[in-house]
Amino acid sequence: MLHSAISRLASALSMLFVVATLVFAIQVVIPGDPAELLLSSAGSTPTPENIAALRVEMGLDRPLLQQYVEFLWGAVRLDFGNSLIDNSSIGQTIATRLPRTLELIAVAMSIAVAVAVPFGTHAALRAGGRLDTAGSGVSALFAAVPVFVIGTLLILLFAQTLKLTPAGGYADFGSAPIQHLSNLVLPAITVAMSIFPIIFRMTRSSVLDSLSNEWVRTALAKGLPRRAVVRRHVLRNALGPVVTVIGLQLGILLGSTVLVEFVFNWPGLSGYLVTAVEQRDYPTVRAIILVVAAIFIFINLLIELLQMKLDPRVQL
Amino acid sequence: MTITSASANPSSAFRFPLPRIHPRLRLPLAIVAIVLVAPFAVPPLLGIDPNAMSVLERFAGPSLAHPLGLDEFGRDRLARVLIGAQASLRVAVISALISCTIGSLIGLFGAYFRGLAGFLSTKTADVVLCFPPILLALLVVTLMGPGTTTLIWVLSIIYFPAFARIVYLEASRVSQLDYVVAAKALGARPRRVMFRTMLPNISGPIIVQLSLTAAAAIVTESGLSYLGLGVVPPDPSWGQMIRGARAYMERDPLGIIIPCVAISLTIYSVNLLTDRLRDVLDPKGLSGGIPILSPRRPKVQAAPQSATLEADTVLRIDHLDVATNTNGTPIKLIEDVNLRVRRGRCTALVGESGSGKSLTASSVMGLLPRGVNVTAGDIMLRSHNGETIQVTTLSGEDLEAIRGRDAAMIFQEPMTALNPVYRVGDQLIEAAKIHRSVSSAQAREEGIEFLKRVGVNDPVRRFDSFPHMLSGGLRQRVMIAMALSMQPGLLLADEPTTALDVTVQAEIIDLLIALKNSAGAPGILFISHDLGVVAQLADEIAVMYAGRVVEQGPAATVLGNARHPYTRALLQSMPAAHEELHASRSDTLPSIGGTPPLPHERPAGCAFRDRCPHAVSVCAEVRPDLTSVDGPDHLAACHLTRGSAV
Repeated sequence: MLHSAISRLASALSMLFVVATLVFAIQVVIPGDPAELLLSSAGSTPTPENIAALRVEMGLDRPLLQQYVEFLWGAVRLDFGNSLIDNSSIGQTIATRLPRTLELIAVAMSIAVAVAVPFGTHAALRAGGRLDTAGSGVSALFAAVPVFVIGTLLILLFAQTLKLTPAGGYADFGSAPIQHLSNLVLPAITVAMSIFPIIFRMTRSSVLDSLSNEWVRTALAKGLPRRAVVRRHVLRNALGPVVTVIGLQLGILLGSTVLVEFVFNWPGLSGYLVTAVEQRDYPTVRAIILVVAAIFIFINLLIELLQMKLDPRVQL
Repeated sequence: MTITSASANPSSAFRFPLPRIHPRLRLPLAIVAIVLVAPFAVPPLLGIDPNAMSVLERFAGPSLAHPLGLDEFGRDRLARVLIGAQASLRVAVISALISCTIGSLIGLFGAYFRGLAGFLSTKTADVVLCFPPILLALLVVTLMGPGTTTLIWVLSIIYFPAFARIVYLEASRVSQLDYVVAAKALGARPRRVMFRTMLPNISGPIIVQLSLTAAAAIVTESGLSYLGLGVVPPDPSWGQMIRGARAYMERDPLGIIIPCVAISLTIYSVNLLTDRLRDVLDPKGLSGGIPILSPRRPKVQAAPQSATLEADTVLRIDHLDVATNTNGTPIKLIEDVNLRVRRGRCTALVGESGSGKSLTASSVMGLLPRGVNVTAGDIMLRSHNGETIQVTTLSGEDLEAIRGRDAAMIFQEPMTALNPVYRVGDQLIEAAKIHRSVSSAQAREEGIEFLKRVGVNDPVRRFDSFPHMLSGGLRQRVMIAMALSMQPGLLLADEPTTALDVTVQAEIIDLLIALKNSAGAPGILFISHDLGVVAQLADEIAVMYAGRVVEQGPAATVLGNARHPYTRALLQSMPAAHEELHASRSDTLPSIGGTPPLPHERPAGCAFRDRCPHAVSVCAEVRPDLTSVDGPDHLAACHLTRGSAV
C-alpha cells in the first residue's frame, strides 16, 4: 500500500516535470520571437531597440538551458517572476485569486454531488421509472446548454427579471459575508448545473452495473434487509467510478470556470488568465497553467489513492 | 462518459450500421442533417445580408421581413444566427475530423506495434490530458493569436487524446481476437491488418466518440468566442453574439435568448444522435443487467393450502409454474415442477443450462429476476421453529426473514459471489449480526468456528482476508460456511463445483458429503448438469429439460435404470474416468446433438423430440406426462416408456 502510494507520487511528480518542460518548450517551439509578438500585438511595429530591451527583461537573451533551469527552479519556489504588463508579482496574484476559484469549484461540486448522486441512485434502483425518465431528461437538457449560456440565462432570469440576486461581482467574505454569499449563489449553481448530467449519468450507470453483480444476490440470499443490501453491496461498490468522474470534473472545472468567472465577474484565477491571454502576458499564462496542471495532477493522484482505499483489489 | 465496448463478434455489432439505417437512428440523423445543412442552405434563400445595418431600426421586434427582429446594430437576427452557425459548425466538424484521424492513427499504431510506439502514443495522450481543456486552448491562443485557424488547431489538440485512448484500448482488445491473429499469421501486411481488419471492427466506438467530440467542439468554440478569443469579428458566431447581446440584456432579452437556444438545440440534437448511436452499437447498455433488487414484487395468488409438510421434509414444491411477462404475452419458463427435499438428504436437480433448474432454486428463495414470477403452484418450506411456510405468499420483509435462516444458498461462481471490497469474515457474519443482533466479537468467534468446520486452514487469518486473496476453492468454502452460519434447514447449492478445478471440485464434494452425514444436517437441493458429481451426493434425482421435469426418482434407480432418452444421453455424455471430469466443465453435451429449445420456441408435443434418436410421430403431437415407470417412485415423461422399453 505505502509502496504503491509512493510510486504513484513519483509518477505524478514526473508528470508534473514533463508538463513544466512542455509549458516552457512551447515558447521555444512556436515560430517567431515572443518579445516581438508581444510588442506587435499592440498594433504598432516595434523598434528593434524595444524588442531587444524586452528580450533582456524576459530573460530571452540568456542561453536556453539557463532559462529552462531558472524557470524550473522558480516554479519549485513558487516564484514565477513578474507580469510583463504591470510588473506585479505573478505568484502573489495567483495566491490571492486561486482561493476564490477553488471556493467556487468546491461549493458548486458540493451542490452537484448532493443532488446528482442520490438522484442517480434512485433512478437506477427504479430504472425505467418516472424518476429515471425525469433525471435522464434533465441531464440531457443540461448537457446541451454550454456553461456560459446557463450562466447568462440565469442572470437574465434571476438578476434581471426577478431581481433576486446580483448579476455578478465579488465581495470579500471577511467584510461582507452576506454579500459574498449572494454573489456566490448564481455562479455556483451555474457550474453545478453544468456538471450535474455527468455525475448523474455516472452514478446511475454505476449503480445499475453494481446491481447486476452476483454478490448482490449473495447478500439477498443471506437475508440482509433491502436497505442494507443497497447500502453495503450496491452503493459501496458503485462508488469507485463516481469518485473518479468527480475527480476528473474537479480538474476540468479548473479550466472551465474561466467562462463562469467571466460571465459573473468573479475575480478568480481564470479572469486573470483571460486578461493575461488577451495581453499576451506569456509568463503569467505559463505560471497559471502550470499551477492549474499541478493541482489537476494532484487531484488525480488523490483519486488514485482513494481508489486503492475503496477497492482492496486495486494495486496501482 | 465512457464508451463501453460492444460484442466481440466481428460480424454483427461493430460493422457500420449503414447503409440500412437503424430505425432508432433515423430521427436524430434527420435532425442533425437539418442542423448541419440549414445554416448553409437557408441564408441565400433569405437574401438578407447578415452584416447590413440599419441603426434606426435597432432592436426592432419580429416582423415579416425579419422573422426574429433586428439586433443592437439593426442587423437581421435570423440571418446572423444562421451565419453564426456556419462558423461554429465548420470549426467543430473540421476539428473533430482532424482529431479523430490523428488520434485513431496514434491509437492504431500503438496497439499494433505495442512496445515503444504503444508507450509513446499513450503517454502523449496522458500529457495532453494533464491540462484542463480550456486552459490548453487559452495557452495555444496566447501563442497563436485568436482566429478560426487557431481554433481548429486548438480543438484538434484538445480532442485527439481521447481518440488515441479509445482506439488504443479497443484496438488492443481486437488485436487479440482470432481473426486478427489469423490475418497476421496469414502474412497480411500491417497496413492491411490495421485498416482492413482492425479498423472496421472498432468503428463503433470511434463513430460515437466523433459525435461526442463534435458536440464538445461546438461548446468549446462558442465558449472561446464568448471570451473574445475564438472567432473574431466581423465574422459572426454564436458565442460572440451572446457576448455582444449581454450589454443590452435589459433592453433586449430576445437578442441573448436566440443564440442561446440555437446553440443548445444544436448540441442537444448531436447529443441525441450520440446516445442513440451508443444504444444501437452497444445494445447491452440498454438493459443494464438484470437487477434482482426490485422494490416491488407482485403478490402471488394467495389461497395458501393449509397443507403442512411431512415430518421428514424441509422443502416441497408442488406444481410450480414460473413465467416471464416482458412483452405482454407470458412465457412459461418452468412448468409443473414437483420436488421434495428431506432433512439430511440430498435431492439433485439435473439438466443443461436453460432447463430451469436455477430458476426453481431462485423461486424457493424469492429471488427471481425482475419480470419473472411464480404463476402457479406451492412452495412449502420448513421454518426454523418447525412451522410450514408458504413461500409464494410472502413478500418483502417476510422473505428476508426466511432467507439465510430457513433456506440458504451457495452459488456457482465463488469468484463473483463475494463482494470484493469487504473482508470475507465480515461478509460471513454480516447476516448473523443483523438477524440475531449478536455482538461483533461473538459473531467473529462463531464465524471463525464455521470456517474451521468447512475445512479452512488458518481460519483466523482467512477471516481477515479479502476475497481476491483466496483461491476459488477457499472462497467456495467461505460461501458454504456463510450458508451454514445461520443453521438453515435447507441448503440450495447451485452448481457449486462447476467453476472450480477438478481436484478442488472433489474436495468441495467431499465437504458436502461430510456435511450431509453430520448431525443436524440440512436438506440439500443440489443443482448440477454433471451426473458424475450428482451420483456421489444425491439421494433423489430430478432431471429437467426445457422447464419440465422429464425423469424423477431415487438416485440409484434413475442412474441405474434411466428411462427417459434425455437422461440416458446425459449419462452417456458423462466422462467415464475421474481425471476427465474437467471435460464436462462446460455446459455442452458432446453426445447430444442440438440445443434445447428456447422458452418461447418450445414446440407442442415433447420438447426433446428434435434431439431424440427414438422420436416417433406421436412425440410431435402429444406432450408426454410424467408417469410412473417400473415402480411408483420412478417417474418419466416419455411416450416410449409405456409399452416397450426404449
